[in-house]
Amino acid sequence: MFRQHFDLPLGEDGSDRFVPWIIAVMVYLATLSVAAGMAVNRSVDKWNIGLEGTITVEIVASNAPVEDAGKRMDRALSILRKTEGVRSATPISRDEISKLLEPWLGQGDVPLTLPIPQLIDVRLEAGTKLDFDALGTLLENAVPGARLDDHQYWTERLTGFGRSVQITSAFIVMLVALAGAGTVVFATRAGLEIHREVIELMHLVGSRDSYIAGQFQAHAMSLSLRGGVVGLGLGAATLGVLSGITASIKGSFLPTVTITAEAWAVLAALPLLAGLIATMTARVTVARALQEMP
Amino acid sequence: MGYSADEEVLRGINFHLKPGSFHFLTGPSGTGKTSLLRLMYLAHRASGGVVRIFNQDIARTRRAVLPGLRQRIGVVFQDFRLLDHLSARDNVALTLRIGRVREDAIGERVTELLDWVGLRDHLDAKPPTLSDGEKQRVAIARAVIGRPNLLVADEPTGSVDEYQGVRIMRLFKELNRIGTTVVIATHDRRLISQFNYPVMELGHGTFGITGNK
Repeated sequence: MFRQHFDLPLGEDGSDRFVPWIIAVMVYLATLSVAAGMAVNRSVDKWNIGLEGTITVEIVASNAPVEDAGKRMDRALSILRKTEGVRSATPISRDEISKLLEPWLGQGDVPLTLPIPQLIDVRLEAGTKLDFDALGTLLENAVPGARLDDHQYWTERLTGFGRSVQITSAFIVMLVALAGAGTVVFATRAGLEIHREVIELMHLVGSRDSYIAGQFQAHAMSLSLRGGVVGLGLGAATLGVLSGITASIKGSFLPTVTITAEAWAVLAALPLLAGLIATMTARVTVARALQEMP
Repeated sequence: MGYSADEEVLRGINFHLKPGSFHFLTGPSGTGKTSLLRLMYLAHRASGGVVRIFNQDIARTRRAVLPGLRQRIGVVFQDFRLLDHLSARDNVALTLRIGRVREDAIGERVTELLDWVGLRDHLDAKPPTLSDGEKQRVAIARAVIGRPNLLVADEPTGSVDEYQGVRIMRLFKELNRIGTTVVIATHDRRLISQFNYPVMELGHGTFGITGNK
């Protein structure tokens, strides 16, 4: 089995005690940040897919007799079904609307006197490019109180929200990476100072900078991988708890925290990324410091 | 010759060591023996004058080339400079590891040499547990294990008994016989007189070589 031989006593300089824990906290924060970003994005995608290829026509309630409401619905359906590109136009029943309103109005029959708008769920043929403005105007003119909602308002905002979450997540990961790199720089510089005499001797007996840097690199990688695995483990446990909590809130609009295989692959890469950053940082720090030696 | 911009340590020194030669370096304390040795084992670059080692003008040699030159130089430091956290075996193996010698080829060579200098029973001992004489022998083993082209030793027999001193000198002679250039710095006139090798005499502002072997 591969075993790195350390000529420098890097394990005895105290870095073993604090670097893994700092890296563990960094990877923990990065795990939560990346998982949150992925969960929100998945929800936004789900909502977008749900809204894609559909429009909703709303006919607001009026004081007119109930028979009039039926006529207005028929007129709107007739217009919609004659429109090219419309696959189906289905009125949403009062029962279904009541279910949609349950989170706000609670379970039970919605009183008939409550002015609830009528809704029509319109499905479009795939690839149809409808002139929503023209269709909306046509409906408004033909059916008083009719309004067409192409969901563009929501999809734009959802996409914007998803992008903001992604950017914030990336920013947090970047900050965490910078803080981790800073920790490694500090630990490496301390190590260089503590082991100055040993390094000088190694130089005198012909050691190349890369040989000495290699020992610091391997040590930094070992410490950060250890810390990274602990951080990932703690992150996974936290995500497990959050997943249980969100799953228990039925009908919630909260994104569900489920870690897919793909997400696990991304999260599992975080300790490796931490190891890579630590390795590169240690190498650059040592190489710069050794340049000052004869 | 100096190695700092504001302090001149060595002046008017001019000599050439033929490959495969053996020299003693002696002189009173404070005359710059250690500084001269430090220039020879490339611990410093001279700020003035010319130091040529293995046909390289050291002042003009790129830094990246120096480790390769240092690997051809074995150094025995007066204060041993062993690594306290490593065993005697690993201290000696250090030179070979740095020279990227394969690990399976290191063990036997190191054990054989430590056996030769009388430390077979101390292979795994750390330097703090060794006597000064034992430390010196480990330091010598580390300096010669890589069969260097140039061996620079500062008072190599200063901490060992007469028997071990003779054995160490025999080791240096053997190395010299197979082509290593040897420079031994010592105050020990008795040691110098036992051998018919040229002596570099360093005084306060003077330098000369006596003997002509």
